[in-house]
Amino acid sequence: MSEPLLEVRDLSRMFGGIRAVEGLSFDAERGRVTGLIGPNGAGKTTVFNLITAVYKPTSGSIRLGGTDLAGRRPDEVVRSGVSRTFQNIRLFNRMTCLENVMTPILARASCGPIASLFGTPSARREQSEARERAYAIMRDIGIEESAHRAASTLPYGLQRKLEIARAIACSPSLLLLDEPAAGMNDSETRELGETIVRIRHDFDVTILLIEHHIQLIMNICAHIVVMERGALLASGSPDEIREDPRVVDAYLGRHRDRRSAR
Amino acid sequence: MDYYLNIVLLAFINMIAVLGVAVFTGFTGLFSLGHAAFVGIGAYTAGALTYHWDVPFIIAILAGMAMAGLSSLIIGIPTLRAKLRSDYFAIAILGFGEALRVCLENLSITNGARGLSLDELSGPVWVTAVLAVSLLLTRNLLKSRFGAMFMSIREDPVAAEMAGINLFRTRLLSLVASAMLCGVSGALLAHRLAFIQPVMFTLTQSTQLLASVIAGGMGSVSGPIIISFVFTVLPEALRWLDMWRLPAYGLLLVVIMIYRPQGLMGYREISGLFRGRSR
Amino acid sequence: MLLQTLVTGLSIGGIYSLMAVGYSLIFSILSFSNFAHGAVIMLGAYMGMVLAAKAHLGLGLVVIGSVVGAGILSVCNERAAYAVLRRRRAPSLYLMISAMGCSMFLENMVYATIGARFYSFPEFFKRQVIQVGGSSLSLLDLFAFVISMGAIAALHIFITRTRTGISIRAGVNDMTMCSLMGVNTDRLISIVFFLAGAFAGVAGVFLGIKYLVYPTMGWVTNKAYIAAVIGGLGSLPGAMIGGIILGVLETLVSTYVSSIMRDVFSFTALVVLLICLPNGLLGTDTEEKV
Repeated sequence: MSEPLLEVRDLSRMFGGIRAVEGLSFDAERGRVTGLIGPNGAGKTTVFNLITAVYKPTSGSIRLGGTDLAGRRPDEVVRSGVSRTFQNIRLFNRMTCLENVMTPILARASCGPIASLFGTPSARREQSEARERAYAIMRDIGIEESAHRAASTLPYGLQRKLEIARAIACSPSLLLLDEPAAGMNDSETRELGETIVRIRHDFDVTILLIEHHIQLIMNICAHIVVMERGALLASGSPDEIREDPRVVDAYLGRHRDRRSAR
Repeated sequence: MDYYLNIVLLAFINMIAVLGVAVFTGFTGLFSLGHAAFVGIGAYTAGALTYHWDVPFIIAILAGMAMAGLSSLIIGIPTLRAKLRSDYFAIAILGFGEALRVCLENLSITNGARGLSLDELSGPVWVTAVLAVSLLLTRNLLKSRFGAMFMSIREDPVAAEMAGINLFRTRLLSLVASAMLCGVSGALLAHRLAFIQPVMFTLTQSTQLLASVIAGGMGSVSGPIIISFVFTVLPEALRWLDMWRLPAYGLLLVVIMIYRPQGLMGYREISGLFRGRSR
Repeated sequence: MLLQTLVTGLSIGGIYSLMAVGYSLIFSILSFSNFAHGAVIMLGAYMGMVLAAKAHLGLGLVVIGSVVGAGILSVCNERAAYAVLRRRRAPSLYLMISAMGCSMFLENMVYATIGARFYSFPEFFKRQVIQVGGSSLSLLDLFAFVISMGAIAALHIFITRTRTGISIRAGVNDMTMCSLMGVNTDRLISIVFFLAGAFAGVAGVFLGIKYLVYPTMGWVTNKAYIAAVIGGLGSLPGAMIGGIILGVLETLVSTYVSSIMRDVFSFTALVVLLICLPNGLLGTDTEEKV
C-alpha cells in the first residue's frame, strides 16, 4: 500500500485546562473514505479545526502527503490541498450558488488588482474559466438548476450539497466532511452516500468523514477511526469496528441505549 | 444656475467618497468610523501641492489618492492583521482619524487649524470626469475576482478563509481601494470649496459616509449613491432643511435598522451594472 | 506638582470610569457598543445645568435630578431604538448602527433646538481649593473622584448582593436561559439601561462643571469607550481600572509632554492595546466558535 495522504501523530489540543484532543494518531489512506466517529464531545470537530489550522495544536504533528502543515494559516492549508464543510452550514448566503462555487476558484486565480481594475483579457479569461469549472462541479453534484439562486434560499439538503460543491472547488486532495447527513432522512442520506462515493471517484479526493449516521459510515467507509474523550479508542475496517467490544460499549452501545430511552 | 451647479458638483464629489465606503463596508463587511480622515488626507495632500508648489491639478489628485492609500496601510496593517472585532476595528480607525486631525491642526504645511485657501480648480468637467472614471473602475473591481472575495468575506469570514482566501490581504486591499477613492474625493473637494480646515474631516463626516452606505443598502453601489445625492442636494436646495439634515440622518438609521435593515437597495442594484458577473 | 497632576488625573479617570461603566453594563448584557451613551451623558449635563442655573438647586439635588432624568432617557432610548431589534434577535451590528443613529439624532436635535452655545454651570461649584503640601487641589476634583468610586462600589454591591443584580448577572451569561427561567428580560434590560443612564447623569454633571455644556460634549465619551475597551468591554472592574489608567496617563502626558499630544496618545494607546490584547485587560474571550 502506498503511503497515507494524511498522517496525524500524537495530536493534542488543550482549551484552558480541558484536553479536547489527546495523543491522537491516525492515517487517512489515499483515495479512500475514512470515517471519524465517536460520541458527542469526543473532539471530532476539533480534529477538523486542527487539520485546517483554525486552532493550533498544543503538540503533535499533521502531515499531508509527507509535508508538515505546522505553522500554516488556514488559507494556506486550503491551498496545500485540504478543504472542508462545516457542522452548522456556512455558506455565502446572499451570493448565488454559482458565486459560492466560483469563489474558491477565483481565490486561487493569479491576476492582480490592477489587471482586474482594467478588465484585461487575461482577467476575463480567468473569470470565464472559473465559471466553466464551477458549472462542471455543480453538474456533478446535481445542483446546477439552482445556479442563480441565492444560497440562503435553497432547501436544507441542497445547502449541504452546495457546501460540498464549494469545498470541491478548492481542488482539494483531502476533503473533510463534518456531519453532512445531519438533519437528513434515510432516503436523502442514502443519496448523499452515493454522492460522496461519486465525488471521491470523479474528483480523485481522499475523504475524511465525521458522521453520526452509523449506516452511512458502515456503507461507504473503507476505514473507521473511533474517538472517545479526545483520544483514539479503536480503528479498523467497518467489520472490525462492528465487532470491537470497546466500541460497542462506549459508542454503539450508548447509542442504542439512547434510542431505547426515547 | 451656478448655485445649483455647485450643489450638484459637491454631491458628485461626496459620491466618490461614498463609493469608497460602499466598497469597504457594503461589500467587504467592515465598519469604519474614520473614513473622513482619508478624505482629509486627500484634500490636504492635493491642497498643499497646489498651494505651495503649483503642481498640475491632475498630479495633485493622483498624489492625494496615493497618500490616502498609503496612510490606510498605517492603520490597516496592524488592525486587520490582529483581526479585531468589528466595533473595535471601527473605533480603532476612529482613533486614527482623530489623531490625524490633531496632527493636521499642528503642522505648518497645512496652516494649522486656520485652514488653507486654495484655487477653485474642480470645475464641472473635472468633477464629472473623475466621478465617471471612479464609477467605472469600482464597477470593474467589484465584478472581478476581488469583488467575489470581498463579498464572501462579508458573508462569512470563516468560510471565506476555508475557501482559500487570505483574509488579511483581501481586507487590506479593500481598505486601500476605499481610502484611495476617499482621497480622490478629498482632492476634488479641497479645490471645489477653495478652502479646507481640519475640522471638516471629523467623526461627523465619517458617520455620514457610513450612514449613506447603510441607508442606501449593504452590497449595493446605486443605493448609497442615491442616498448621498439626496442628502447632499435636498438640504442645500431648501435652506431651512439644512439644520435638520443630521437629525434626519440619525433618525433614518434607526428607522432603517428597525423596518428595513437591508437599506434602500440592499444587495441589489437599479441596473445590472455592478452585478451580472454570474448572469 | 506631581500630586496635583495625579489628583487631576484621578478625577478625570473617575469620570471616565463612570461613563465607561455605562458602556460595559450594556455590552455585558446585549453584546453591542452603545454609541448613543455619549448623547445621554450630554443630555444629562444639560438637565443638570438647567436645574443648577434656573432652579438654583444645590449640587446634591442637581446630581439626583440628572441621574433620574438621564436614566429615564436611557430607558426610552432602549425602548425606541433597540427593543424591536433585540426581540427579533437582529445581529449586534444592527444595534450598534441604531445606536449611532440615536447619537447623531440626539446630538443634532440639541444643535437644532437649543443651539450650539456653550453653557457653564454656576461658578460656586468650581472655586473651592484646598492646600496639601504646597499643591492646590480642587475640591471638585477630589469630590468627583470620591463620588465616582462610591457610585461604582454601590453598583458592585447592587450587582453582587441583590436579587435583581444577580438576575442581571445571570442575564449576562445567558439571556435565553434567563427568559426560560421566568425572568422578565424586558424589565431586566430596562433596569440595566436605567443604571447606565444614571451613571451617565452623574458623569454629565461633573463633566459640565469641569468643562462646559455644549451639544458635542459627548465627544469625550469616545475616551470613556476607549477606557471600557482597555479594561475589557463587559467587565465592570475593567471599566473602572481602564478609566483610571486612561485618566492618569492622559493627564501625565498633557502635563509633561504636551496637551496637543494628549488625544493622539490615548488613541494610539487604544490601537496598540487592541492589537496586543484584543480582549482588554479583564475582558473575556469573544472568539467565534467554528
